[in-house]
Amino acid sequence: MMEVRHLKKKYQENTVLNDINLSFQTKDVTCILGPSGAGKSTLLRCLNLLEKPTEGKILYEGKDILGKQFDIRQLREEVGMVFQHFNLFPLKTVAENIMLAPRLVKKTGKKEARECAEAMLAKVGLADKADAMPTSLSGGQQQRVAIARALAMQPKMILFDEPTSALDPELVGDVLNVMRKLADEGMSMIIVTHEMNFAKEVADRVIFMADGSIIEDALPDQFFSAPKTERAKSFLARFLI
Amino acid sequence: MFDWNGVMTVFPRIAEGMQLTIYIAVSGIIIGFIIGLITGYIRTTEHCILKKIMSFYVWLVRSTPIIVQALYIYFVLPRILDIPFDRNLAGIICISINAGAYISEIVRGAILSVPRGQWEAGLSLGLSRLQVITHLIFPLAFKNMLPALGNQFIITIKDTSILTVIGVAEMTYQAGQYAATSFNLVESYTTLAVFYLFLISILTVILGLLEKKMGVGTK
Repeated sequence: MMEVRHLKKKYQENTVLNDINLSFQTKDVTCILGPSGAGKSTLLRCLNLLEKPTEGKILYEGKDILGKQFDIRQLREEVGMVFQHFNLFPLKTVAENIMLAPRLVKKTGKKEARECAEAMLAKVGLADKADAMPTSLSGGQQQRVAIARALAMQPKMILFDEPTSALDPELVGDVLNVMRKLADEGMSMIIVTHEMNFAKEVADRVIFMADGSIIEDALPDQFFSAPKTERAKSFLARFLI
Repeated sequence: MFDWNGVMTVFPRIAEGMQLTIYIAVSGIIIGFIIGLITGYIRTTEHCILKKIMSFYVWLVRSTPIIVQALYIYFVLPRILDIPFDRNLAGIICISINAGAYISEIVRGAILSVPRGQWEAGLSLGLSRLQVITHLIFPLAFKNMLPALGNQFIITIKDTSILTVIGVAEMTYQAGQYAATSFNLVESYTTLAVFYLFLISILTVILGLLEKKMGVGTK
C-alpha cells in the first residue's frame, strides 16, 4: 500500500532520517518504537508530507507522492492522522470538528455528515458529546474525538503520532481500547508509540528505530522476547524492569 | 467666564464634524482591515518578493508621522499623479493605509499565535491551504486579535483629528474654525474634548460587549 525508498530527511546539517526503506501492507498494524530523537515521528510525518523529505521516494498505491503531478490532498483524504496533542479545532463543537473535512473535502451534505459524525462518536464511546466543546473534554476524550474525526473521512489507513503520550496514565486505556477495536476491524495503522504492552498485543509488526535508522523490523513476539541487536536490548531493558 | 452661548453655537458644528469623523474612521478601519488582513497574512508566508513589498509598506507607514502622510497624500501625490484629490478622499486614503500598516502587524502576530497543530490537523484531513486559513486559522486569529483591533479602532478615530491640517471638516477642524473666529477657545476645545470622550466611551462599551460575545479571554 505504501512504500518508502531511500528516504532521507535533514534539517540543515542534522540528519534525522538516514536511508529508510520500508513497505506497509494493507490491514497491517505496524508499531514504530524507539528512543526519543530516533526520527519516528519525522518518518510518520513524511508519509503524508507534513514533513518534506530531503531525498528518496515514497510510493502510495504505486504512485510517487513526491512527483509533481501527484496531488497530496488525494493521499491525505485517504490516510488519516492522529496527533500527540489531539489538535482539535477549539472554536467548533465535537460534531463540527468531525464534520468539517467530510463537508469541505468530500462535499458531503450537512445531514449526512452529522449522521456520520454521530456514528463515529458512538464508535469511540462518546455518543453523548456531539454538541460539547473540545475544551470541556478530558485529554482521553479529546483524543478519541480526534480518532473519530480521522475515521469520518473513511480512510484506508491511519497514522498515529504518539497518541497517548500527552495523556494522564488513567486515560490511556480508553484510547488504546479504541485503537485495538480499529485493529480488530482490519484498519491499516502505523503507530508511533511508547506503549510496549499495546505493541506486543496488537501489532502485526514492530519497527525499532534509533538515530534516524531502522535497527530492527520484526514480528512483535520475536522483537520483545529475542531482540537481535544490543541497541534494542538496552532499549527494552529500560521498559521491562 | 465660561460662555454657555459659545458652547451652544459650537455644539452643532462639532456634531456635524462628528459625522465626517465617524465616516472617515469607519471607512478607514474597514479598508485598513482588508489591507492589514492581506498584507499581514502574506508576511506569515514564504512568498519572498511579496513579503518584501509588504514589509516595505509597513516600514514606510510606521516610520513617518501620520501628519506628514496626510500632507503628502493631499498636496504631493496629486502633483505627481496629476489628478486632483478631494480632501475627504485623501483623508480616507491616509487613515486606511495608516491603519492597514498597524493592523498588518496585529494580523501577523495573531496568525503566528495560532498553534502549528491547527495547520497540520487541517492539512492532514485533506483540506486545501485556503480552506485551512479561512475555516481554521482566521477564526482563531480573529479572536486573538480582537482586543488589539479594538485598540487600533480607537487610535484611528483619534487619528482623524490630524486631517484638520488638510482641511477635512471633521470635529477638530470645526472646533478650530469656530475658536479662531469667535475667540471662544475654552468653550470650543472643551466641547471638542467632551465629544471625543463621548465617542470613544461608546466605542469602548461596544468593543467590550463584542469581546464578551466572542469569548475573548476564555479558552
